[in-house]
Amino acid sequence: MAVESPTKPTFADKLYDKMFHNYVWKSIFRTGYPNTPRNQMLVVATNVFLHLHPTRIHRTHVKITHTYCLGGLSFFMFLGLTVTGILLMFYYVPSVDRAYLDIQNIQTNVQFGQLMRNMHRWMAHAMVILVFLHMMRVFYTGAYKPPREFNWVVGVILLVLTFLLSFTGYLLPWDQLAFWAITVGTNIAGSAPVLGPKSRFWLLGGLQVGPDALIRFYTLHVIGLPLLAAIFMAIHFWRIRRDGGLARPL
Amino acid sequence: MATAVVARPVARPQARARDEEVLVWPDLVFVEFIAAMVFTITLFLLAFLVNAPLLDQANADVTPNPSKAPWYLLNLQELLLHMNAAMAGVIIPTIWLGILAAFPYFDRETEGQGKWFGTERSVRITSVSAIVGIVGTWVLILWDSGKGAYLLNKWFGFSGGDKLRFLENMRAIQSQLPWPEWSRKITYLPFNLKILSSDAPGGPTQFQHLDFPGWLVEQGIPIAALVGLPALLIYSLWKMGWVLTRRDALLALFSGFVGAYGILTLVGTAFRGPGQELVFPWQLNVSEGIPGEE
Repeated sequence: MAVESPTKPTFADKLYDKMFHNYVWKSIFRTGYPNTPRNQMLVVATNVFLHLHPTRIHRTHVKITHTYCLGGLSFFMFLGLTVTGILLMFYYVPSVDRAYLDIQNIQTNVQFGQLMRNMHRWMAHAMVILVFLHMMRVFYTGAYKPPREFNWVVGVILLVLTFLLSFTGYLLPWDQLAFWAITVGTNIAGSAPVLGPKSRFWLLGGLQVGPDALIRFYTLHVIGLPLLAAIFMAIHFWRIRRDGGLARPL
Repeated sequence: MATAVVARPVARPQARARDEEVLVWPDLVFVEFIAAMVFTITLFLLAFLVNAPLLDQANADVTPNPSKAPWYLLNLQELLLHMNAAMAGVIIPTIWLGILAAFPYFDRETEGQGKWFGTERSVRITSVSAIVGIVGTWVLILWDSGKGAYLLNKWFGFSGGDKLRFLENMRAIQSQLPWPEWSRKITYLPFNLKILSSDAPGGPTQFQHLDFPGWLVEQGIPIAALVGLPALLIYSLWKMGWVLTRRDALLALFSGFVGAYGILTLVGTAFRGPGQELVFPWQLNVSEGIPGEE
């Protein structure tokens, strides 16, 4: 009876062993390569980014036609907008004297500047559309029903925040399109009874769109509203897990 | 012991069998990765091919005609043409967002969740309501812009003459009917209440007198239409035996809203030329600072 002798490790095996089974690597990634169910679950549970997800989900939920990934893609747009937005912030100064020239400068003198600006704008439009479609998906699949009532409310708040984020960003290029769109937009807000004129004044920092409006919109756009949106997104994602993941027939 | 103090959710899904489950890694992570890649590549291509618009530097002295809000607010700007500004721009959207947020507190049935459409007649209700929203909004816009009367005359040779002129559009109800003089200045508060006045402080306050025809056209009829037409839609679908549950009623309301909202956005974006005149998209020539002409 022949006894199977273990095969000699090849060079590739040794290299793999050296690279991924050493002390430093294992201090960062505690789990092994996710090629066994155990490791696959561990990698999701122990990774800060992946642990937004449970380790296992119902099989109907990975069907693309169930969600079309709309909520996840809205979040992905938010991340992309943050990255491109930070790159644009390096070159943009929110003053009436400089804003327009900075945008021109970004488009003509900055390496990939035009591309980053284009990405930022189209991603912003995409986010508004995706968030709206996500709301439609949630409604038509009845996913707002108990126990997810409050998460639907958080979703409505996030929809409003998305509109506000886009609206405040609209003024920043300081061109005719931006100026008059914000003039029309804030006039709409200003027409509200009782609180209208005050809230318009508060938003613009004056009676018409000017330097004070630009700095207010900029501050809201780059820190105030993203922070608020991030808080509500955290609640939104947390509640998805707490309420038992995606809705499915009981 | 801990379960005794933790509040239980209203409805908790039952534990599921293991054979119905898949692992998040790789099954879900893979789908997410592909979706993210598709969007990254598509948006990169779009950004390569189409530049973000940049017009001339902002100038408070040069007003483009028409001046438009960002596209996702053009639905409100379109509403603004048909009714009182505060109503169209602030009150209606605020109330609607409130109604939207209240959906799950109105429809508390747990049945039918996690399934597209869910109830027996939901697809029918959704399509009919969306079509009613789309067609109804178009018809109302055409009528109020005066194009309805114009086209009736042009295509069918129909003219209401002077007697029916007040039906040409909303404003005509105010201007073409023989309203008695007193109805244009009804005192409803015998003193000035400054908080209700949008005029500059110190100026004469007009707010405490009601111009009834003006109020009817700017607020009365729009409120009646915005409350009445959706109610009529749901009532008709209920009478037809389609709407049976609260979920069905919400399906009708939401689908009608999506239809109307879509058309308002579309008309505001692509069909409003100089002076907010209703024109075809290919006649949209804007003077000074044209969106999208860069």
